[in-house]
Amino acid sequence: MKPGALERRAGRTLVYALLVVVTLWLVGPFIWLFVTSISYQRNLLARPLALVPPEVTLDNYRMVLGMVRFHAEGQAAKILPSMLNSLVVATAVTVVNLTVGTTAGYAYARFRVPMKTFSLFALLFTRMLPTVVLIPAYFLLFKALGLQNTLTGLVLAYCSFTLPFTIWIMKAYFETIPADLDKSALVDGCNRLQAYYRVVLPVSGPGLVAAGAFTFMLCWNEFIVAQILNTKLGTTTLPPVIAGMNAQINIDYSVIASSGFLSALPAVLLVLCFQKYLVQGLTTGSVKG
Amino acid sequence: MISLVVVFPLVYSLWMSFADVNLLRTTGPALELFGLSIPLFRYVGAQNYVRLLADPLYWDSFWRTAYFVGAFVLETAVVGLGMALVLQERFLGRPLMRSLLLIPWSLSRIVVGLLWIGLLDVEFGALNGLLYRAGLIDSYISFLKSGFSALNVLVSVYMWNQAPFATLLLLAGMQSIPTEVYMAAEVDGAGYWQRLRYVTLPALRGILFLVLVVSTVNGFLMLDLIYILTMGGPGNETTTISWLGFQTAFQFFKFGPGTAILYTLTVLCLLLTVVYHKVVFRKLDAEQI
Repeated sequence: MKPGALERRAGRTLVYALLVVVTLWLVGPFIWLFVTSISYQRNLLARPLALVPPEVTLDNYRMVLGMVRFHAEGQAAKILPSMLNSLVVATAVTVVNLTVGTTAGYAYARFRVPMKTFSLFALLFTRMLPTVVLIPAYFLLFKALGLQNTLTGLVLAYCSFTLPFTIWIMKAYFETIPADLDKSALVDGCNRLQAYYRVVLPVSGPGLVAAGAFTFMLCWNEFIVAQILNTKLGTTTLPPVIAGMNAQINIDYSVIASSGFLSALPAVLLVLCFQKYLVQGLTTGSVKG
Repeated sequence: MISLVVVFPLVYSLWMSFADVNLLRTTGPALELFGLSIPLFRYVGAQNYVRLLADPLYWDSFWRTAYFVGAFVLETAVVGLGMALVLQERFLGRPLMRSLLLIPWSLSRIVVGLLWIGLLDVEFGALNGLLYRAGLIDSYISFLKSGFSALNVLVSVYMWNQAPFATLLLLAGMQSIPTEVYMAAEVDGAGYWQRLRYVTLPALRGILFLVLVVSTVNGFLMLDLIYILTMGGPGNETTTISWLGFQTAFQFFKFGPGTAILYTLTVLCLLLTVVYHKVVFRKLDAEQI
């Protein structure tokens, strides 16, 4: 509520009580993931369960990172290489989005694109499309192209899913920048491209950060496409590897939890670092369409 | 470029839904394109669709999906709005709380599933541990054992992941309501609930609608959580249309029926896009006038 709402003292207490509930709801599960990742499985199985772990250990992380030998090390040893794959793919897709997607967003915001309404609709539809319907086609196309089990194929597939988002976000962002800015650059002797690169882009930092962080996060977290297209050992990204570990009965939950926590950390930190821009970019992108 | 990487696979998938796709025999009629030969398989007409619509499993999944989407949209809207109302109050550390909102949303669904396994598992689940300590249960509950309870777990876990984004959108909407309106309402003697009913909710109507449409689409498409938490089971009791399509195409490798199932979803999403498009553009027009 706006200032002035719930001024009574009981109201304040209620607000803080609710805040505690919301906080627990939002971060409690994530913190518990961390707690399990530094616990021994035997302590997680104990009844009654100790909420503060009686023993703290980094053994799970050592196992996952290949520093100690254990029975399922074959599975766990894939964590670091697949993390590298995730990083390469997510970075490449982000770069493509920030160059191609941003320029297209600028075009939509400033020019009379032929069939603008139709192509915007197509863009929106692509955004709402069940991506999984495209995967059988990618599967066969990539097989023909020899792109199966390659990071290039994954980058290509991810670009097709993320570009509509980026164009949409950047279009909304560019629309908040007064068109007079470009016009004055044009009057000063820039051509369109120069006006875009020298004048508009430098003031679009927040929009670029939002689109970039969002794209990176989507790629880092994507599971289904990577799971199906890159099945060969060592060619896939983190989420399929973790899902694979989870499907093995002989790996302790605490070990899987540590790899889950490791894989979550980069995306969470990225989003927290750029949260201001991200929220701004995503809300203008969605609210204004 | 986008039309190339999205439209072509989309059309190719549509073709497959009308074909008898045998992945082992990719010879036969093929589309020659830039020196590539893309297998076309044997055209079988609407056979895949006819069989599909006669399959009780499809209709079971259909109604289950309807329940899933309904429950998910409702929970997301209610919890999203509830959290937005709490976070809109004035309190210490409000910016921090808004960052915390992004944590569940920035996690990969694989990690989301993983950490909820840590909370709900029948052997080491923390929620079970808490309930047991509090003396509320005598033995640990297996939340994923019965189909209906597993389905509801999926709904709630997905909501945990998605509701924060709805909250962000709603908070952005609340901030655009002028403070004067609330002051005027207060002068007129409106209490908290009256202000909510007559000022906040009407002003948020557009965004609430957006939240409903977006979460409907997301509900229809949810796949990765099913993969990590239930695999559609026990039996087929958490099999939704998107899981059925995924399973048919990629576990049984029946691309024809699989793409047909996924195409029925695509058509649904297309309809929802039309609705979204209309709303967004009507809103834009209103703003421009």
